[in-house]
Amino acid sequence: MITQRGFVIVFAGVLLLTSGFSFTNFYLVLLGVYCVIGLVVTLPLFALTANLAGIEVDRQIDKVKLFSGDFLRVRVTIRNVSRRHFDFIEVHDQYPETWILAIGENFMASRIEPGSSMTFSYILQARMRGRYYLGPTEVIMRDRLGLHYYKRVLKEHTEVLVYPTWKDVRRLESFAKQRQLGLMFGAHRTKTVGMGTDFAGFREYVPGDEFRLIDWKTSAKRGDMVIKQWEQEKNVQIICMVDTSGSMGNGYPENTKLEYAIRAAVLLTYMGLERKDLVGTCVFSDIVHGYVPPGTRPTHMYDVLEVLAMAEPQGWSDYETAISHVVNQTKKRSLIIWLTDLERSPAPLLNAMKTLVANGHKSLIISPFGPWFEAPVGQFGPVEKVLSEAVSEELWERRNKIARALSRFGINVINVGPEDFLPTIMQSYEQAKQRGVAMF
Amino acid sequence: MKGVTWILRIASLATFAYMAYLVYSILNPNDIWHWNAPYEFVVTVFRLLSLLVFFIATTMVSGLAGAFTGGAVPQDVIVGLYNTLVLRTWYMQPYGLADPLTNVQEVWTSFQMNLNNVLLALWNNTFLFLYFLCAGVGIVLFLQSLANMNHKFVGGAFISIQAIIILAAFRTLIVPDITPFPADFIEFFWKQAQILALVSFAYLEVSYQMIYSASVGKPVEEREETLKKQLLALRQATRKQDAIERGEKVSTTGMSRSTGATAFSFLREAMERKVMGGQSALESLDAISDVRRLQIYVDELLQSDSRARDELTAKAAAPSSSYVIGSTITGSAIRFLTVVAVSFMLMNPNFIQMVLNLPIGIQNSVELIQPEIVVLFLVPVVGVFPMTAAIISWFSRREVVEKEELTKEEKEEAKRRKKERALKKKEAEKARKARAKARRERKGDEVEVDEWDKALDDAFKR
Repeated sequence: MITQRGFVIVFAGVLLLTSGFSFTNFYLVLLGVYCVIGLVVTLPLFALTANLAGIEVDRQIDKVKLFSGDFLRVRVTIRNVSRRHFDFIEVHDQYPETWILAIGENFMASRIEPGSSMTFSYILQARMRGRYYLGPTEVIMRDRLGLHYYKRVLKEHTEVLVYPTWKDVRRLESFAKQRQLGLMFGAHRTKTVGMGTDFAGFREYVPGDEFRLIDWKTSAKRGDMVIKQWEQEKNVQIICMVDTSGSMGNGYPENTKLEYAIRAAVLLTYMGLERKDLVGTCVFSDIVHGYVPPGTRPTHMYDVLEVLAMAEPQGWSDYETAISHVVNQTKKRSLIIWLTDLERSPAPLLNAMKTLVANGHKSLIISPFGPWFEAPVGQFGPVEKVLSEAVSEELWERRNKIARALSRFGINVINVGPEDFLPTIMQSYEQAKQRGVAMF
Repeated sequence: MKGVTWILRIASLATFAYMAYLVYSILNPNDIWHWNAPYEFVVTVFRLLSLLVFFIATTMVSGLAGAFTGGAVPQDVIVGLYNTLVLRTWYMQPYGLADPLTNVQEVWTSFQMNLNNVLLALWNNTFLFLYFLCAGVGIVLFLQSLANMNHKFVGGAFISIQAIIILAAFRTLIVPDITPFPADFIEFFWKQAQILALVSFAYLEVSYQMIYSASVGKPVEEREETLKKQLLALRQATRKQDAIERGEKVSTTGMSRSTGATAFSFLREAMERKVMGGQSALESLDAISDVRRLQIYVDELLQSDSRARDELTAKAAAPSSSYVIGSTITGSAIRFLTVVAVSFMLMNPNFIQMVLNLPIGIQNSVELIQPEIVVLFLVPVVGVFPMTAAIISWFSRREVVEKEELTKEEKEEAKRRKKERALKKKEAEKARKARAKARRERKGDEVEVDEWDKALDDAFKR
């Protein structure tokens, strides 16, 4: 293959030859011949040496699983396993489009001796969750003067699994630290009286109470026997239903409804595990893509992260299939939190809720409202603005009707936007704990 | 590698200077290097343009004056208006006039009388001007090639200088030529025109070698430089954030271009998210956190792995200078000899006669001493080299067919995923059908409306 600079020579050669023919000038013809012969004379030699099959590229990464926003070092080693040198070799190692090159360059150009190798590395930042592949690697070999080149694409790829972002958890931890330092108040306790450590109050002794529970000091003061009561600490079981239907993927790439739902699910799982609550996760659309039953195993968080990392917005929401899958596998009473945009017809949703309530579970729907996640109205022209407002109103009315229908059975629908999605899930969790919903 | 590049830069300068000198000296007998030629050309063009302005101006002035007076306008009115409006303002003296206009017709008369001379002068001046223009462009492109190491400038400088000879050949001036083409190689080799051709070719060769030398060492040097700047920028950004958090005033929150922020898109983006405002406070927090985490990551990496810095800069990949010098000299010498020898054979009429065993009539034909005869061998010979290369490539199996190779486990895993998904879909579909069937049956049996359906109906009826 002739390179761009090769074509400059071809142009010069043809110009000189034609000029020489036109003006009957042997100097111009001679120079034209020099250019043309000079261009092709080394081609066989180059073909002999440029055996790109003698180049091996090896890519190594520090870890194959990482969180969105984490950094990853990629090391690329190029080996010349042939017996010839390569005068000029360019190596471009490709990485996913959504990632950011943080330090270094994913490109190298140099000369490589037979049997030797060269290594370069660069640091990437993974921006979005999912399964990604590093590669392919493009190897271009040019001759000394850069007149010809051969290209080879090495399709070996390295798979990397990117978990959803951990930044919300980090943020939560920093708030928790502030609370430990006494900077934040507001403990959230259950009001149920039982075997806890926090004092709840006194009550009169009734026959059958254990003697050890009698508070003798207060009994002496009152002249009657009283029992000291403690707040009971109970755990709740929550299942987070993450809808991954196509409509959940609408919006800006990192700000889709699905991304927020996933972040909310991660946060909820983390909070649950911290407080020894059982939190399960179900990822569904028209089928159940993954279900991690509630648990407290050490690997539970990673199981949830893995299921969420793979979630892709596709298909439609089949609430009934999802709930029957979950109900079949869950014997204990649970609080089922749905993270869905309610853009399917309401009948299947109601049927799913029917199944859910019939099995003794409680439910709550946290529903991202589509227009709040998509293009801001301020960016629209007058016609688009009117249209978008009309669509928003229609959608709002529709979901109000669904909410009214569900409220009859004690199922709340909370409409959320990007700003209040995560606070809402935290609040819902705290309220569930306070009210003692789905305790075990 | 910088040293080698500088040596080749000097060699490129020397060959270019020699090529330019040869072109100058060979064309000098034509007496074309008048140093005032560009000025004369510009003046001629200017004066012809002034004639055009004169024509338009006088037409407009006479038209306007005619419209206002309603009839023929006296000559002196037009002349007066032209002198006042045009000459005083722009001094566009029409061709053939030296003083203010007294009579419109005299301009045209003067021009008609000298038309041939004017056009001939313009024609000559144009070529003189073009020689200088080509030389000027050639020198500028040559200087650009030294600074930017771009092959386009090298090719441009080469073509510009050769264009002078092409133009001179067009004007049938004394130009370098090899007529008749010598049959003896030594005689051919020492011909002045051949030397000029060789020097011109050498300029191309040396300049391309210079670009190679720069490009083979530059990526490693640039990588090192970029990494230094990136790390410095990262360090500064972290310090700046610390200062902001401590409540200290910082002079500027933007990154200075000199610190390499332009090459550091990650940091720039992070800083913009923090600095530009308008974003939520949480995003600013993320940006700060990203920069700090990157700093920690890099610090840990550099501490834990001693080779990390060298790998980031790809220091080990830098080629040795001595090899580049040696291979440049030998490679270029071989190429020169081959090119000169092959070209001589292609152009030598004796060689053509010897190889083709031509009949006597054609041997004595004037066509054999025409330049076009070179095409006879040039085309096949030029075709031979790529063909040989193609055969060699074919034998050495360069074109490795790349397939996306999956390991056995990966293949099995992909198969399992696919199967699992199909099964899930099948089960879901089956369950859906069963539910629909049950619902249909229930609807047939039940007279009373289900309370859930009722709730939904109520909600949607409102």
